[in-house]
Amino acid sequence: MLEFQRIGDLEYEYNADLGLSYASPVRGVWNIVHIGTLVPEAHEIFVCPTSCLRGVVLTTAEMGAMDRLSTITVGEDNILDGDMEEALQRGAERVIAELPQRPRAMLIYTSCIHHFLAVNYQRVYRVLREKYPDIDFIDCYMDPIMRRTLPAIPSLWRQIHRLLQPCEKNPKQVNYVGNCFAYGPYCDLTQMLESAGTAVLQLNTCKTYDEFLKMASSCANITFHGAAVQAAKDMRLRLGQEWIPVRPGYCYDEIDEDLRAAAAALGIEPPSAEETRLQRELTEAAVAETRALIGATPVSVDYTAVDRPLELALYLLDHGFTVESVFVDVFTESREIFERLQGRIPELRIYQSLGWNIRRMARGHEGERLLAVGQKSAYFKDTNHFVNIIEGEGMYGYRGIRRLMELMREAYRTEKPMRELVQIKGWGCGCS
Amino acid sequence: MKRDYQTHVFTSTYTADVSGVCSALYELGGMTVLHDPSGCNSTYSTHDEPRWFDTDSLMYVSGLDEITAVMGDDNVLIRDVTAAANDLHPRFITLCGASIPHIIAFDYRGVAYLIEQACGIPVLPVPTDGLKSYVSGVGMALSAWLDRFADPAAHENAAENAVNLVGVTPLDFSVNGNAERLRKTFAAAGFAVNCCMAMGESFESMANAYRARANIVVSSAGRHAAKRMKKKAGIPIVEGLPIGRAQTEAVLRAARETLADGSDRTAWGAFGNTGRYTVPKGGILVIGEEVFAKSLAAAISLLPAEKRGGLAAYPLWPDEDEGLPEREVIDAVRDSAVVIADPLYKVVLRGSDPARFIEFPHEAYSGRIFRAALPAFAGPSFSVEGLLKTAF
Repeated sequence: MLEFQRIGDLEYEYNADLGLSYASPVRGVWNIVHIGTLVPEAHEIFVCPTSCLRGVVLTTAEMGAMDRLSTITVGEDNILDGDMEEALQRGAERVIAELPQRPRAMLIYTSCIHHFLAVNYQRVYRVLREKYPDIDFIDCYMDPIMRRTLPAIPSLWRQIHRLLQPCEKNPKQVNYVGNCFAYGPYCDLTQMLESAGTAVLQLNTCKTYDEFLKMASSCANITFHGAAVQAAKDMRLRLGQEWIPVRPGYCYDEIDEDLRAAAAALGIEPPSAEETRLQRELTEAAVAETRALIGATPVSVDYTAVDRPLELALYLLDHGFTVESVFVDVFTESREIFERLQGRIPELRIYQSLGWNIRRMARGHEGERLLAVGQKSAYFKDTNHFVNIIEGEGMYGYRGIRRLMELMREAYRTEKPMRELVQIKGWGCGCS
Repeated sequence: MKRDYQTHVFTSTYTADVSGVCSALYELGGMTVLHDPSGCNSTYSTHDEPRWFDTDSLMYVSGLDEITAVMGDDNVLIRDVTAAANDLHPRFITLCGASIPHIIAFDYRGVAYLIEQACGIPVLPVPTDGLKSYVSGVGMALSAWLDRFADPAAHENAAENAVNLVGVTPLDFSVNGNAERLRKTFAAAGFAVNCCMAMGESFESMANAYRARANIVVSSAGRHAAKRMKKKAGIPIVEGLPIGRAQTEAVLRAARETLADGSDRTAWGAFGNTGRYTVPKGGILVIGEEVFAKSLAAAISLLPAEKRGGLAAYPLWPDEDEGLPEREVIDAVRDSAVVIADPLYKVVLRGSDPARFIEFPHEAYSGRIFRAALPAFAGPSFSVEGLLKTAF
């Protein structure tokens, strides 16, 4: 079996994440430890067997943030004695007693084994909340066995925001929810909101716990990524905050539609027709400049860099680029995009980055140069010419596309030390 | 009061049994499957396996999910592993796992048998549980491999000076030349190194593992396999790591004596009758894997008194099942004049004078973080005196 399939031969219901999986050395995607440490003045406790603890502890150590994390190891005795609750409570109390500073919040992660042993951890949290009223405790989960129901990252985004409590709303303040990276100058939405005098709060720019708690008073939550959906739905129910989803894609009409919908929901002016026309012209010019530089150099795109790799591939093809492959393990984009791409370029290679055969793939590319958008494409295609971003890195809308074009031009001109960069865990987090 | 092995407020954790399995069998041409939902394989390949980027050894996670576990549907695993094996043609397959297979009583032997029937490739069941340290995993993996592929009868053909070096993995020795130094140390002293389990070996050379007159256990990860070989072929065991000139001589002397009389030996002398986690105040504390810690402590004690500030050295090592109790580690560190340990242990100093801490990275503890600073410590050329210089 080849490590790739032609898109023309694939079904839309393609999902490589179903069984035996390979883990490449590419580690830039954030995990729950990286996300958890975004909460200022909080302390994380992981309660798991040794094999699960190893990864989170060393992730934290690599960030230089060991003072933000403690662990409680689940042992054979706990399984046999059925005293998981007591071990959790004793451990948490010891952590609180021995930390040099009282944390404002504690994120306590239980694991797969707690589900299977029906551990009543909510009772422990109740006891802890009563005993330590100055600390906000929140239950978090590192339970990949439940990933078909609710994967750990969407679950964590939801749980983090459960630290927020209902309060009076500020109509001139909104939250961005579920982003690893702050959305600023390369985001059309941020520009529109700031022009209207609407403040944007983002977890990743909060410096203090109190600043984070202010997110409870925002009137709406704006999400860019699928991983944030659970959090936004939960906040809508619990806090009465409106949910405004925007699509992190490359279709101009969708961008305009989402900006107008956000403006209408917040009672502010959407971008004018003139502004929209200008943005489109600037974007087309940036794309043309990039196309002129890169020429027919093949491009490979992966899902760790952007949420919609198929749509990006289609956009690039429509603008005259040569796209040779996409690395993606699950199709989360619309059937329409998939079928358009199938019709446009049936020979497009789709690689499963988790598939077992890719381990023995002869890493490399044909021709002198290949430009990769994303770390997995760069690694498997063995190129130092790559755009080193994770999860869109704060890019949205026309400004986002122009920034991506700028990064592609930069990557085309300048090589990066791919081997070193792709192995850094949680790219852009504290360790990068 | 019951000792608390579980709560670690400040300190890290040693890597788990599943990583030990993968590490031990990495170079032997097999395919290792970790039966686990997710994460164990990326943890291993990211933090515990320095060979991952440049080689194509086969390590996978099964991707166990809730419904498969609840229904006990082993066919998912059997189907996947068989399909992968048919694509990749490994020499053998190893099936190990973490905590969920353990608590649902996954039948490693039965499933291994069924996979082997389906694809015709030998399958080793290694029933790890994700709860123990890599020492357990390396031991279980090497023992299972030897039981299946190495013939104890080969011991009859062993040369008089043939020894195995047992327990050699990057988790304890990294990839900075320590394994080669171990081989050279024994070869230069007139021994024939039959097998270095398991770095720099092939499937075929490991299959001749029983062609040795003694097993030198250079890390505690080699202890289980050495005991198995003793049980099956009567091969005696020497425990000790050659580190620095004097301790290397001690280990080589013990090996020669064992070749001569067939008795088991340790090559680190005695360290008094202190409790397991209690060390005398004001000494030099060595924290690390058991054979390493005891051997380095012995090596320090063999130095002239003025080279070690007149202090004695004491080892502290993690339990194979439980790890190290943090409170006792903190007490031992605070009570000692000098501490030699992985840099991640520095967090327990908390305001004490950091000058007395000598960093000695250990891959099984801090993973890849300090890999570049890990010294080539095996053999006579390592300067124990030089190591202590920063403290005195």
